[in-house]
Amino acid sequence: MMNDPELQEIFTDPAHQEVVDLLKVSRPAAPPLDPHFRSYLRAKLMTEARRTLGPQASRSWFPFRFTPKTLGPAMAAVAAGFIVVLGVEVYLHNQGAPTSQVAVNLVNNKTDVPTADPIQLHFSGPVDKNAVEASVQIEPATSVTKQWDGNTLVIVPDHQLAPNTTYTVTLKPAATAPTPNPVKPAVTPQPTPAPTPVVVHFTTTPAPVSPAVTQSFKSSTVGWRHDDRLANSSTMLNATWTPAGQLLVTRPAGLPGPGATASSSPSASPVGNATTDVWLMNASGTPLRILAPSATLPSAAPTGGLFASWNLGANNQATLQIRDLQGTLISTVATVKGVPDRPAVWVGSDRVAYLDHGALNVFGLHTPVKLTETYKLDQGSLAGSPDGQLLAAQTTDRSMVIDLATGAPRTRLPTGATGFAWSSKGDLAFLLQHDAGSDLYLYIDGKYARVASSSNGQAWSDLNWAPDATSLLLATKPTAGAGSTSLLLINRDGSNPTAFGSPQTEYSSPQWAPAGDLVLFIRRDDATGARVFWTATAMPSASDGAEQLALAEVNTFMQARLHGDSNAALAELDDAGKAAYQTGTMSLVSAAGTRFNRYYPVSVQLTASAPNKFLVGVRIFIAKSGVETSFLEEQLTLLEQGQKYLIDGASATATMPVGHGPTVVSVQVAPGDSHEQVRVHFDADLASSTVSSDTIKIRDLKGNDLSGKVTFDPNNHLATVVADLQPGNTYQLVVTTGITDINGVAMAQEYDAPLVIANR
Amino acid sequence: MPEFEDRELVERAKENPDAFGALYDRYFPQIYRFAYSRVRDQSLAEDVTSEVFFKALKNIKRYTYAGHPFSSWLYQITLNAVADHYRGAAGKEVELEEGASLPSNEPTVVDEVVRRDRSRRVWAAIDQLPRQQRAAMVLKFAEDRKIEEIAHIMNKSSGAVKLLLHRGVERLRRELPQLEAEVGLP
Repeated sequence: MMNDPELQEIFTDPAHQEVVDLLKVSRPAAPPLDPHFRSYLRAKLMTEARRTLGPQASRSWFPFRFTPKTLGPAMAAVAAGFIVVLGVEVYLHNQGAPTSQVAVNLVNNKTDVPTADPIQLHFSGPVDKNAVEASVQIEPATSVTKQWDGNTLVIVPDHQLAPNTTYTVTLKPAATAPTPNPVKPAVTPQPTPAPTPVVVHFTTTPAPVSPAVTQSFKSSTVGWRHDDRLANSSTMLNATWTPAGQLLVTRPAGLPGPGATASSSPSASPVGNATTDVWLMNASGTPLRILAPSATLPSAAPTGGLFASWNLGANNQATLQIRDLQGTLISTVATVKGVPDRPAVWVGSDRVAYLDHGALNVFGLHTPVKLTETYKLDQGSLAGSPDGQLLAAQTTDRSMVIDLATGAPRTRLPTGATGFAWSSKGDLAFLLQHDAGSDLYLYIDGKYARVASSSNGQAWSDLNWAPDATSLLLATKPTAGAGSTSLLLINRDGSNPTAFGSPQTEYSSPQWAPAGDLVLFIRRDDATGARVFWTATAMPSASDGAEQLALAEVNTFMQARLHGDSNAALAELDDAGKAAYQTGTMSLVSAAGTRFNRYYPVSVQLTASAPNKFLVGVRIFIAKSGVETSFLEEQLTLLEQGQKYLIDGASATATMPVGHGPTVVSVQVAPGDSHEQVRVHFDADLASSTVSSDTIKIRDLKGNDLSGKVTFDPNNHLATVVADLQPGNTYQLVVTTGITDINGVAMAQEYDAPLVIANR
Repeated sequence: MPEFEDRELVERAKENPDAFGALYDRYFPQIYRFAYSRVRDQSLAEDVTSEVFFKALKNIKRYTYAGHPFSSWLYQITLNAVADHYRGAAGKEVELEEGASLPSNEPTVVDEVVRRDRSRRVWAAIDQLPRQQRAAMVLKFAEDRKIEEIAHIMNKSSGAVKLLLHRGVERLRRELPQLEAEVGLP
């Protein structure tokens, strides 16, 4: 019987109701569907969407406009190698006129191209822009936005390019039919043949070798080595790391740089309080792109590629906005009166806490969060746990940990508890200040305990956890007098406090980079007294040093092979290593007519200790007539022997053509809270729907697939597999050809690599 | 998916390609199914579906919420795309006027009915309904759309949609027993 009031109203006749009942319980047969059609159409749509939607397509301020005012810095950037300019020689049909030769030879086959830089194709004369723009093809597949500045085509990748990757940009404009002459058809020019396709290549910078931090990195054994003032430091008002090791920076509005134009300046805009913009910079302080005009106080989500910032509007109002790292507005959280004086606080990656007139609010991107009472903070400390569940808050009358599942306090902390900092493992550090100095506390599993106290007369502040959660950096300053602030590195149990930084120099506000190799801080400029941003390079621990020693050995071995010097290469092999190359199909040097053109490490794993043994995957590119045509991958075993490493074993994949489709460029194993994480980086923008546990698998030695959860971060071409991998065991990573890029092109070959899980 | 989340996703899709991709993932099955129900040809259904989503992409910045689900807009585009197709292939569709009789003794239909179960017979019969009735019947009984939404999609009044549904069901009531009797089914 019908239970749809709409139908009951229409059909009162029982005979009709019978038909309706039949219709309601039946459904048309599922239509036939080509299984590839859906993904094919999606790939085509996404290519078009990336061309027509998004920040670059919609923002007038994004294109590179080389107005007289900005031409100088832009050209300086070119000279400095910050912008890729590819010289091309191309014949293009020009608006019905006979084909004209446009020849510019600047830089082609450039190497060490920064991964975050736009690509410029410069033409010396007028061209049919639509034809050129439509003809651009990039391999590996990369979603880009194309802009014109005069006769220069500026191609802005939507995400950072992959490192260690040779990109091919092809211009292949189709032949253009000549415009008929309606008056004198006889003199209508003949159709112009399709111009010669133009292909240019460039190679991106090598990636830092993914450290085998899983086994060896201990922040507690790291020390300060040297520090460097960031480029553009004087224009940085505040800065914070993104999870990918870039910087979110507030800068005065109107500064030049990629993506900035005069229109982005508030001085050219009626926005009331807009005096700053939020930028993305690399770890050296080079501006990459403007992310949020008229905004300030950014804060990055711990994962997921989002950040929050305050957008300063007219009428003394500020709006809290969430954007991705392309600058795309994802969500508007709230509008408050006045100018905020602190960034929003992320609680996990989908909740943001902020203050409105001193009152605490928590916004959930996916599900609303309700607090059971009004919490007033004023200047009190506020910090969110990385799992998104807990919020440490110093309100006007107490300090507590709030459980966001209930919106109510979970634990009351000691009165005056402040300086909250959550570690990546979910432990909370805080400080209690008293007349004689400071006490450092840890809050773990609902209980807190004091772990260290400052020496008499020293006050601690600016707690910041190392990425591995085994130690903290903090600022220390005399409680009385005009003494300067310095940094202290201290183990999580309060042991081994060690000065971090150059003596006699004033430091504050330390922030570990996510990879643990750099520390961002504010340093007082000795000459001017101004406080500006610097980074310290951390000295690796002994075991990290061992890894560097092993990689240096790999480099010596590979350089000999690249130069065709088999004797020098042999000197880096022990007997077992020599046997591997002499008895197998592997060759130390390239075959006649070819050359080993370059190599890079794909993976580094510490597989044993005492003596150390490393397994290093290297990808070797083979060139014919100067063009890379194929590659192979070798797994080199390095064994510590005396004071150096020698290659003790090797195996190789078959030679594979450099061709179409995405490729794995690095594999890294990292420990998670309870399971191992296997991070697989690709060189192309992938179709997200093809990245799953069906296409990225981990197998045990018996060939059984393990259950694992696969997530994908399209901004970084990064797939992460979380699986229960047992220390001491060896597994196999399998990436199938089911992975496709955004154009629907599948991986050319399945990728297999060993995963050795070392004992911790 | 709650409507407010749908609307938020649509707003994001105006600027964010990935959000548009999510809309595609969400609506592809029903749009393809609906397109196929209108053209009964896999290749044509693919063409229509492709056209629908490319048009949606091209015009999404102009889309504004007017009280109807986003899917209504996609269905509208689908109907227009199907109509455009048949305009471009004039004469290929056998269009029946409202109130015309079903070709109930069409041998091919009978042959097909013989081979199908009761459920599939009724949908095969719907395929033979006039174009407007068929659209209304598919949207109501296959896609579970509300009458007001169907009216919006088809650019008709709710009353007109009710009339189309009534006529469609009446025609089925008349024709189905006859078909079943002819093939000796209960």
